[in-house]
Amino acid sequence: MRHEICYVKDLPMGANKIMTLEGRSVGVFNVNGEFYALKNSCPHQGAPLCVGTVTGMTLPSKPGEYLYGKEGEIVRCPWHGWEFDILTGKSIYDPHKCLVKTYDVAVEKVEEEIAVETYKVKVEEEKVIVYI
Amino acid sequence: MASLSRGPIIDCDVHPTPRSMDEIRSYMKQPWKDRYSGGGRGFYGNPLHGARLDAKPPNGGPIGSDPEFVRQQLIEEYGHKHAILLPRAFCNLHPDPDFASAIAAAFNDWLADTWLGKHNPDGVFKGSITIAHQDPQAAAKEIERWAGHPHFVQVMTDSGARAPFGQRQYYPIYEACEKYGLPLAIHPGTDGMGINIQPTPGYPTHYIEWHTCLSLGFQSHLVSFLTEGVFEKFPNFKVVLTEGGVAWLPALMWRLDAEYKALRYEVPWVKRKPSEYLKDHVRITSQPLERPDNDEHLLQVLEMMDAENILMFASDYPHWDFDSPKLAFPKLPDALRNRIFYENAKQFYNL
Repeated sequence: MRHEICYVKDLPMGANKIMTLEGRSVGVFNVNGEFYALKNSCPHQGAPLCVGTVTGMTLPSKPGEYLYGKEGEIVRCPWHGWEFDILTGKSIYDPHKCLVKTYDVAVEKVEEEIAVETYKVKVEEEKVIVYI
Repeated sequence: MASLSRGPIIDCDVHPTPRSMDEIRSYMKQPWKDRYSGGGRGFYGNPLHGARLDAKPPNGGPIGSDPEFVRQQLIEEYGHKHAILLPRAFCNLHPDPDFASAIAAAFNDWLADTWLGKHNPDGVFKGSITIAHQDPQAAAKEIERWAGHPHFVQVMTDSGARAPFGQRQYYPIYEACEKYGLPLAIHPGTDGMGINIQPTPGYPTHYIEWHTCLSLGFQSHLVSFLTEGVFEKFPNFKVVLTEGGVAWLPALMWRLDAEYKALRYEVPWVKRKPSEYLKDHVRITSQPLERPDNDEHLLQVLEMMDAENILMFASDYPHWDFDSPKLAFPKLPDALRNRIFYENAKQFYNL
């Protein structure tokens, strides 16, 4: 089912929005201009995952070496700190076994008629759409 | 979710926080009032976050400082009958025992007035008497000051110490605990900080090491209690190991019972196999519960350690490693679940 979330301009880069869609809580994220949606429930103990910090991560490296990356692509669970890749829903510690459900997101031009005093104006604006 | 959140709950580790350090200072006399500035355990702050990010009170104040929000997010959310409160005074690291005792006393006055007083009309909150074990005589007096209070149900100390807790310098504390029917809860904190010894070979580098190894101090304290004969000398004294881990217990007791067969000679006051003292004298709280990949393995450990009689549920709310009453455990048989989540604590604390 199609759900209009908001205008693109209202969800800037780095921001996210938590909505209830079809009875389930969903987090919609703008990561560097691309939009992603995750189920707002951590597969571990059910914490509201999308309330967590959006951040980067220390990438795999040699002992004593620090490589930081994926800035803005990681959401860290607000309870136990487990990291999830917002782009895929997969956990960092075990992407194959521990993952959160993702939903399709599109950006679509939506025509809207807005009444301005007595004139009708057609506006075309881009909206973020989540498909469940 | 069937059977995962059924039945009543007593939560044996919940952390209330003062709204500000001024609130604690208001219970202090000089010179401590001017001198006290709060302060935590020192090193080993969690590199991610130390408390649940969704636990910030909507009306402001530090996490864990709003009793009404704790009621909403914990007590009502999960149907808690009682929450055992353990404030974190971190007084056990101070070299000056008088300063440490003053901090402990102020935290007790604060807790009694607020969470155990005006915010506790239904008695859902039960509290812990903070003591400074640097000065066991003063600690015993502090216990005496609160004896008979309807909502203080135990005495508490950090696991951080200068010596294992079975040693005789601590006995005034245990004598007071026994006299007033108050168990002693040991909670992680101040190990290796201030005057206290770090129970690992040197200081671990990372939080992950430090946090994983918190159970080492607990193991050392437990073996000390058992071998020094504390439970023979104080036959009604009881200990709660809070937040020290769970699954290590069977292996440690096997080891100690094995040693006992010959080395009983060295500690002749230990009259029974050491593990046999646990049911009468020791309780262990569940959080942070270990979760092996195979749930069956954990269930076997629970059976090995006599969880039915000695394990008590704890969430550690609002800290980052909160164990949800709904999902921290695998599915348990109903009778065992009720023992762990409710009956064991109800009996132990006479609730």
